[in-house]
Amino acid sequence: MSAGIFWLASYPKSGNTWTRAFIASLRHEEPEEVDINALHTGAIASDRGWIDEVLGFDSADLDHDEIDLLRPAVYRWHADEAEEHGYHKVHDAYTYLANGEPLFPAACTAGALCIIRNPLDVAISFAHHNHCTIDQSIANMGNPDFAFSRATKRMDNQLRQKLLSWSAHVESWADADEIDRLVVRYEDMRHDSLATFTRICSFLQLPDDAASVQAALDKCAFEKLQAQEQEKGFCEKSPKHEAFFRKGKVGDWQETLSPEQIDRIINDHHAVMQRFGYLDADGNPVPALPLEQIAA
Amino acid sequence: MNSPAYRYNAFGLNIHSHIELPALPPAIGEVTADVFISIGPVSASGLEKPNKATPFYQSAENILWLNVPDIARFLVRDGNSIVVDPYSGSDEQSIRLYLLGSCMGAILHQRGVLVMHGNAVRFGDRCVVFAGHSGAGKSTLAAAFHKRGHEILADDVCAIDAEGHVAPSFPQLKLWQDAAKRLSIDTDELNRIRLQVEKYAYPLDNPAMEHLPVAAIYILNSHNRDEFEIESIRGMQKFNPLKNNTYRVGYLDGLGLKAEHLGLCSKLAGRIHLSRITRPNHGFKLDELVEMIMGDLRNKGIVAA
Repeated sequence: MSAGIFWLASYPKSGNTWTRAFIASLRHEEPEEVDINALHTGAIASDRGWIDEVLGFDSADLDHDEIDLLRPAVYRWHADEAEEHGYHKVHDAYTYLANGEPLFPAACTAGALCIIRNPLDVAISFAHHNHCTIDQSIANMGNPDFAFSRATKRMDNQLRQKLLSWSAHVESWADADEIDRLVVRYEDMRHDSLATFTRICSFLQLPDDAASVQAALDKCAFEKLQAQEQEKGFCEKSPKHEAFFRKGKVGDWQETLSPEQIDRIINDHHAVMQRFGYLDADGNPVPALPLEQIAA
Repeated sequence: MNSPAYRYNAFGLNIHSHIELPALPPAIGEVTADVFISIGPVSASGLEKPNKATPFYQSAENILWLNVPDIARFLVRDGNSIVVDPYSGSDEQSIRLYLLGSCMGAILHQRGVLVMHGNAVRFGDRCVVFAGHSGAGKSTLAAAFHKRGHEILADDVCAIDAEGHVAPSFPQLKLWQDAAKRLSIDTDELNRIRLQVEKYAYPLDNPAMEHLPVAAIYILNSHNRDEFEIESIRGMQKFNPLKNNTYRVGYLDGLGLKAEHLGLCSKLAGRIHLSRITRPNHGFKLDELVEMIMGDLRNKGIVAA
């Protein structure tokens, strides 16, 4: 029986892990707070072990493009085998393979929750994540060929993930017409948590009554995740990264980015920023326009 | 059927093959075959009544169907036969890789051998197995021990018989370009395992010949912290790590070998030291890892203090 996979799709550092912590709280009825080192919502879509287990041979002996061609069948099999919906994080953009097939087949997809965040804030957080300068981070976000785990001289536990540029990533999922989608903004998740997470729950076919949503939100409040990381560490943090749950702040760019850096990001991404309310009517950057003021 | 042209001895088995397998040591003298490798048709759709089926492998009692797209389909049965059906346009080099990996692993499972996903390194009259998932650093670590003069009995597919001995597989390690560089191994002289990947076949110059008892098994892990950790696993706790680090553990249920395999794991658990070793995942810190293992082996009395 196919239950279908819900993809939790986002560019990195846009609130994906917080969302997984929320789902874990909601589904597992954690007593006090969620354990960030045991988020059993489902493997990331690029987890090599999750793929190899279906292949029965090593993906390690194939090149990146050869592996990608096998991924749709692997996802279909996982969806067919599962008795309930899976909730799988994914940082790959929604792309098509050389044979014309989408990497994430509609047939096994229950839906895609597309989480987006103001690229002005992503640039800062992504720099910390990759242990690089903010300028490098801005360059990565503007690079149409940017990918994670793309090395060819060694092997990673993750498969190659084509992220594309930040704009192309966001639009690839937001406009993936073959599948059901809900686009949510990190800023609304932070500032209008109950309403935004209620929409998320309805979409993901999770309990969406106010009491359940609020209880789960309380258990995975950003400050709690941050405190837990400081105390016990976080297994998903990259080694050079000081902290995964760093600031989580909306509008950090106003204090952190130089005017030149802001201009570069706007120059690279103005159309998509405009579409999702990160630029006002005059084209000036804003943390996030109210939802009712944007047409997307 | 024509008599197979090529005769080898590997994993403690005489292998007669229609496909040349240059990495394998030749059989010595006239011997009867334990395993036949032939070329022939293999169903495109898989087995009739598989116990387990994915688009890429299917298993039933004593039979495994493996489909590596664009390379070949394989049928492995009764612990003594592998039929290879190459996809048109595939190359022999790629076919060999899956023959000597997944297919030999299935043959050994079917013969009732415990197959660990690991490398075996000789220490004195015994050997130590380093097990772990794909990418854990098993081959790199084995190559580092080889450079220090140790014989290597197995790379990736490690066959442990009912007496707890490892049968030498064949004298070769598979190394990624970065790992070779770290070990100062010049890859200009080496062949790639496949043209598509920057991973090399590193031939070992003093091949292991003897079957040696396993003294200890280390499960290799990594984490995002800076320190190394080594943790001894005792008693009943040994069972799950052995099971989970079995080569192609997913095959077993469908092959009808799950119960037998559990028996093999518990028997082995009683004979060996088992530890989990965790290294930082940034920078391999290979020398520190080797020193740490040597220290632990001295503490365990496996190498002289």
